[in-house]
Amino acid sequence: MSTLGHIPVCVEPIGSVLDAQGMVGGGMAAILTELAVLLERLVQHGEPGAIDVRSLPLSPTERMRLIETLGAGEVDIRIQANGESHIRETSIPGVWWSEHRDSDGVLLVTLIEVARVPEMVAAADADLVRGAERLRAVLAPLCAAHGGTTHGTT
Amino acid sequence: MGRPDLEPTIGELLDRHGVSRRSFFKYCTAMASLLALPPLAARALASQLRSAQRPSVIYLSFQECTGCLESFTRSFAPTIENLIFNVISLDYDDTLMAAAGAQAEQAREQAMRSHYGKYLLVVDGAVPTGDGGVYHCAAGRTGLDILTECAKGAAAVVCVGTCASFGGLPFADPNPTGARAISTLVPDKPVVNVSGCPPIPEVIAGTLLQYVSSGRVPDLDAHLRPTVFYGNSIHDRCYRRPFYDQGKFAKTFDDEGARSGWCLYELGCKGPTTYNACATLKWNNAVSFPIQSGHPCLGCAEPDFWDRGSFYSPIPSPRWGKAGEVSPAQAGDIAAGAAVAGAAIGLGSVMLARQRIKRYQRQPPQQSEPRNEE
Amino acid sequence: MDLVDFARGPALKAAFIIFILGIVWRIVNVLLLRHKRILSEPRRSVGAALLAGLKGTGSRSWPHPEFIKRTVTGEALGYSYHIGLFIVILLFAPHIIFFGSFIGARWPALPNSVVTIFAVITLTLFVAVLARRLGHPVLRRLSNFDDFFSWFVVALLLVSGLMATAHVGAPYHTILGLHILSFDLLLIWYPFGKLMHAFYIFPTRAVDGYVMTRKGAPS
Repeated sequence: MSTLGHIPVCVEPIGSVLDAQGMVGGGMAAILTELAVLLERLVQHGEPGAIDVRSLPLSPTERMRLIETLGAGEVDIRIQANGESHIRETSIPGVWWSEHRDSDGVLLVTLIEVARVPEMVAAADADLVRGAERLRAVLAPLCAAHGGTTHGTT
Repeated sequence: MGRPDLEPTIGELLDRHGVSRRSFFKYCTAMASLLALPPLAARALASQLRSAQRPSVIYLSFQECTGCLESFTRSFAPTIENLIFNVISLDYDDTLMAAAGAQAEQAREQAMRSHYGKYLLVVDGAVPTGDGGVYHCAAGRTGLDILTECAKGAAAVVCVGTCASFGGLPFADPNPTGARAISTLVPDKPVVNVSGCPPIPEVIAGTLLQYVSSGRVPDLDAHLRPTVFYGNSIHDRCYRRPFYDQGKFAKTFDDEGARSGWCLYELGCKGPTTYNACATLKWNNAVSFPIQSGHPCLGCAEPDFWDRGSFYSPIPSPRWGKAGEVSPAQAGDIAAGAAVAGAAIGLGSVMLARQRIKRYQRQPPQQSEPRNEE
Repeated sequence: MDLVDFARGPALKAAFIIFILGIVWRIVNVLLLRHKRILSEPRRSVGAALLAGLKGTGSRSWPHPEFIKRTVTGEALGYSYHIGLFIVILLFAPHIIFFGSFIGARWPALPNSVVTIFAVITLTLFVAVLARRLGHPVLRRLSNFDDFFSWFVVALLLVSGLMATAHVGAPYHTILGLHILSFDLLLIWYPFGKLMHAFYIFPTRAVDGYVMTRKGAPS
C-alpha cells in the first residue's frame, strides 16, 4: 500500500532552480532601466507612467529581489474600494508599488507606477461633485435648525 | 423595433448601485492589465465602459462538457457576478438561469425580439450536423436549428472553447455525429473564437469586456482568436524557455531534469505551436499553468489537437498514418521494403541496359559511328 | 490536416520511401553495370591494388600538394560548410528527436544558441560557395541545373530552419511545416541529384585507386 510518504516529493526553496542556473538578473535590469526612463519623463514632461508586473516573465526570486531593490519609502496608502488597494512609495521618490485586491482579497493587478501621486488616490471630479451635493444635503437641515441661511453671515 | 435607447449606460447603473469611481477605476486597471493594454489605458477604458450600454447576451450550449462554463464561472477578474450584473445582461443560459422549460425559451425569444441585431450570441460546444442533426436536441429542436435561429439576429458570435471554435472532441476522428465548428455554420456574422479546453476564464471574460467597451469585434488572428490573448505562443512566454535555448531537457517525468524544472519539449510539450495566454495570465488567479506544474502543454487551443498523435510525442516526431509516432521497427520495415523495390528496379534497368548493349553490338545502327564499348 | 501534419506524416513517409528506393536503385545500377576491363598488363598484385584503393579513400581527402594553391579556396569552403552542416543537422535538439525516432536512440545536443551560430555561418559559407560558382569562369561552365538545384534544396532547409528558430516571416507552426516539407523535398531529390555524392565518394575513390595501382600508375 502506498502512503503519502511513498510518493517522492522534492521540496525546492523558491527560485533555487533558477538561481542555480545563474539566470537571475536580466529581467530586473530591464525593469529598472524602464523605471529610470519613466522617471525622467515624469520630471521633464510631467507624464506619469506605469509597468504592469504581470506582463513580465519574472521568476519568484527575481520578483523578491526587485521588491528588495526598490525598498520602502515614506508613504504607505491603503484604500478600501471594493477590496483593498495597497500603494507604497518605494525608496525612489515617485516610484510606487501598488497592489489591488478584490473584495475577497484576491490580487487583481500589481503595478509599478511612476507618478507624483498615483491616479487612484486622488478623488475623481464626478465624485467631488457628488460629495459636495451630499455635504449640502447634510448641511441644509442643520442650518435650518439654527434659523440661519446656508451661507455664512459673520 | 424603433425603440429608443431607454436602457441606462453602465456608468448610470454603477452610480445607481453606489459604486465609487475609485472602485471602478481599480476594476478597469485590472481589466487593462488583463487585456495587456498599457497600464495607463485604464482611464480610457473606464470612460468607454461607463458610456457603453450593457449588451444582451444569449448563451447556447451544444456538444460540450460544460467545462467551459465551469471555467468561465471561475473568472477572478472580472468576476462572473460583476460581469453578469454590471457589464452584460445575460438573458439566456440554460445552465445558469433559474427559469426552465417553456419559461426559459420565452426569455430567449423575448431577448432576441427586443435586441434584434444587437445581442451577443455566446456558444459553447460543436454542433452535430450528421443524420439531420439528431445528436443534439433541446426543447424538441435540433442544435443546428436553434443556432441558425439565434445567429440570425446576433451582432456577433463568440465561440467559447475549442469545440465551438474548431470542433474539438466531438469533431475528432472519426467524428460520428458530423460535428462542426460554429464558424463554418454561421458564415454571415462576425465570429470570435475563444479556444482552449477549457479557455482561461479571464480570457472569456476579457473578450466579452473588450467587445462591450469598444463596441466592436477585437483584432483576430487567422483562427479568428483575439490577438490580445492569442498573439503569443506558450513557448515564447514560457518561463522555462531559457532551458530550451540552453538545450536542457527533461527526458522523463521523474529524472533530474524534470525535478530541476527543465524544458518539457522532449516530453511532448506543444508550447511552440500553441497560441494562448496560459504562460502569462496563468490559471486559478495566476497560481500556475500546466508547464509550471511539470506537465507539457497539450496544445488544447489549436485546431485538431485531439488528432495530432500522442500528447507525449515531441513536435518534431515523424507521424506516419493514424498509429502515431513512427517506431524504429516500422521505419526499418518500410526502409527494407523500399530497398527491395529499389534493388528490383535497379536490377531490371541493368538488365535492360545490357540487352540494349548486346543488341547494339550485334547490329550497330547504320547512321551513327560505332562507339568503342568495352 | 495542417501543413505540419502533412509534412511530417504522409509527405515524409513518401519521401522516405523514395529516398531509400532511389539510393538502392542507383547503387545497384552502378555495381551491376559493366565496368571497363583493365586491358593493360597487371603491374601490381591484386592485394597491393586493393590496399592502395583503401588508402586512397582517405588520402584523397586532402588536396594534392601540387595543386593546393589553386584549390585551397574551394577546399576550405567545402570543408567548412560540410562541418557546419553536420553540426546543425546532428546536434540540434529537435533534429535529434526527429532522427532519433527512426533509430530509437537520442544523443546529447548542443545549446540552441551555439547551433544557431553555426547555422548562420554555414548559410554564409553557402552563399559564398554559390558566389564562387557563379564568379569562377570554369566552374560556371561546368555547372548545370543539378548543381544549382541541389544547392537550393539545402539552402532552403537552412533558411527555413533559421526562420523557425528566429520566429520571423510567419507563425512558427507554418515555418516548421515548410521546414519539414523542404526536408521531404531534399529526401526526394537526394538519390537523383549530385547530393548522391555522399554515397559515391568513398567507393569511387577506392575503385580508382585499385584500377590505377593495378595499371601501375602511382596513386
